[in-house]
Amino acid sequence: MRTQRAADIASGMFLCLLGIVVVLASLRIAGSPDVRLHPRTLPLILGWIIAAAGVILAAQAWRFRGEDRIIKWPDRAGMVRVCVTLLSLIVYLALMESLGLPLSTTLYIGFLMWYLGRYRLLWAAALGLVSGATVYIVFIRLLQLSFPAGPLAR
Amino acid sequence: MFFSWDYLLQGFSLAVSPANLFWALVGCLMGTLIGVLPGIGPSSGIAILLPLTTMVGPTPAIIMMAAIYYGAMYGGSTTAIVVNIPGEASSVPTCIDGYELAKQGRAGPALGIAAISSFVAGTLSLVGLTFFAPMLANVALAFGPPEYFALMFMSLSLVVSLSGRALLKGLIATALGLAASMVGQDPLTGGVRLTFGSEELMAGVNFISVIIGLFAIGEVLLNVEEAAAYIYEHKKLDWMPTWGDIRQSWGAMLRSTGIGFFLGLLPGCAPSVTTFVAYDVEKRVSKHPERFGKGAMEGVAAPEGANNATCSGGFVPLFAFGLPTGPALAVLLGGLMMYGLQPGPMLFKNNPQFVWTVIASMYIGNVILLVLNLPLVGMWARIALLPFPVLGPLIILFSVIGAYSIRFLAFDVWMALLFGVIGYLMRKLGFPMAPMVLATVLAQMLETSLQQSLLISRGSPLIFFTRPIAAAFMALALLSIIRGVWLEVRSRTLEVAEEDEA
Repeated sequence: MRTQRAADIASGMFLCLLGIVVVLASLRIAGSPDVRLHPRTLPLILGWIIAAAGVILAAQAWRFRGEDRIIKWPDRAGMVRVCVTLLSLIVYLALMESLGLPLSTTLYIGFLMWYLGRYRLLWAAALGLVSGATVYIVFIRLLQLSFPAGPLAR
Repeated sequence: MFFSWDYLLQGFSLAVSPANLFWALVGCLMGTLIGVLPGIGPSSGIAILLPLTTMVGPTPAIIMMAAIYYGAMYGGSTTAIVVNIPGEASSVPTCIDGYELAKQGRAGPALGIAAISSFVAGTLSLVGLTFFAPMLANVALAFGPPEYFALMFMSLSLVVSLSGRALLKGLIATALGLAASMVGQDPLTGGVRLTFGSEELMAGVNFISVIIGLFAIGEVLLNVEEAAAYIYEHKKLDWMPTWGDIRQSWGAMLRSTGIGFFLGLLPGCAPSVTTFVAYDVEKRVSKHPERFGKGAMEGVAAPEGANNATCSGGFVPLFAFGLPTGPALAVLLGGLMMYGLQPGPMLFKNNPQFVWTVIASMYIGNVILLVLNLPLVGMWARIALLPFPVLGPLIILFSVIGAYSIRFLAFDVWMALLFGVIGYLMRKLGFPMAPMVLATVLAQMLETSLQQSLLISRGSPLIFFTRPIAAAFMALALLSIIRGVWLEVRSRTLEVAEEDEA
């Protein structure tokens, strides 16, 4: 998938499969006597559109013979940075309900700032703490929004 | 008589009383803050502060709540322009050119134009509210489900122009956005669909999660990949718009006022729809449409103007019929009723002093917001000077807060994360994102109005072509689609011809 042509062929095929999945899922939608349009009609049409558009995209790319564009995918280091950022975000979200938003925010912000900026650990931890405290004071105490507070709720 | 100069002047004399001025100022400040902060839209902002208003009388309370509403519209553009986070769907068109301008070191002028456009549109549409409210209020009543469907269909047809030169990919993004919005429950029957047996998916995909993911998280991932030191390459920042910027945006401000105000009269036609329409119109009338998406100042002025004009337009059916055109006005209606004020024709007859003081205070509020926002432009633009390793995690934090506070469900944050990855891939693969956003915003209303229309017509789609307003919108939609396809075919033919010549 280094070139636009290859990427379009691959994404076209993926979209075709996705469209078929949507079509199959739509066929399982139950009907309702209260409406004129069967509840499956619109998802079914969309599924067919996605599948057909995927085929057209792949076919157009297959037939394309012009100057191809090179897609700027990340190098190895860039890919590691993206994966670490995503993984840390997944851990953050997984911990959010149990640890609460302020504590998980402290850990997440502290870690990601340290990782991305190579700041001193103490500095990153301080920034994380300030972020967590701001979330707690502004959103949970002041605005009283229903964010998970974790141990700080007690 | 509905309008009287005496009532209006009396309203102004009461609105400038120290107490009313103070509450208007408080509302403007809070509104701006609510607009800037992720997660608290104007409706939840007003709802949170509603109990606090009981300590003042009905007039200052409503003055404050109205100021929060239009103040939030001023503030909403800030994060969209500076860090590419549209807090509300209405700020998405602002992101398209606003963030591009910010990347060119012009965040300050873009924020300034957003504030000036908001002021111009807010004030001009207040003139409409003052003089033509009863006449215009009837427009809202002329709209039934077929007219809404046709209007939504016309709005959806804008994806053709939003797709730029990638029409097929734009249509795919639209279909994906519509399909994603159909996950969950059928809005009319409540039947479960496309959930693949998952209970979490029954909650459905909220469009705010889609927006936050595609724009904010996707953008952060792109900067993380490049190990960016700063979010913008340009470290030099302009602070204020030049006269050239204002001259360039003047027409956009006036056109967006008209579009925002008239569409704002219709219940359900929220700023999230009108801002897209205004942006598209501006692109079409521009002599240089190719600048749109690359940092056109009119691309900021148009959605920001439409945003505020829609706000003021919404007060016409609210005051005249008690008909709220959006969630924030519904909360405001609750506030009115809490004080025993029944909106409708009798409100103007029985409580003229109240109505005209609130309207007069809105003129003053717009001036307060301009005076308040222009000096803050420099401060907001300085956010860009933060190093990316600090700013990036903070953008993700605000995205998480924004997504979680939609319904206070962790599911919405997971969806934002998923769409963040999708947004990252869409940027790489050259899929336009705005059509997907527009599709997710319009999906539910489009589907509901279609179902309701077919119930009225006993299943005949001819209903969209036999009612004049609906037929006009359908014709506009079809023209827009045909024009977009023709332009695409023509540009392809030209490309082939150029290649053959070479």
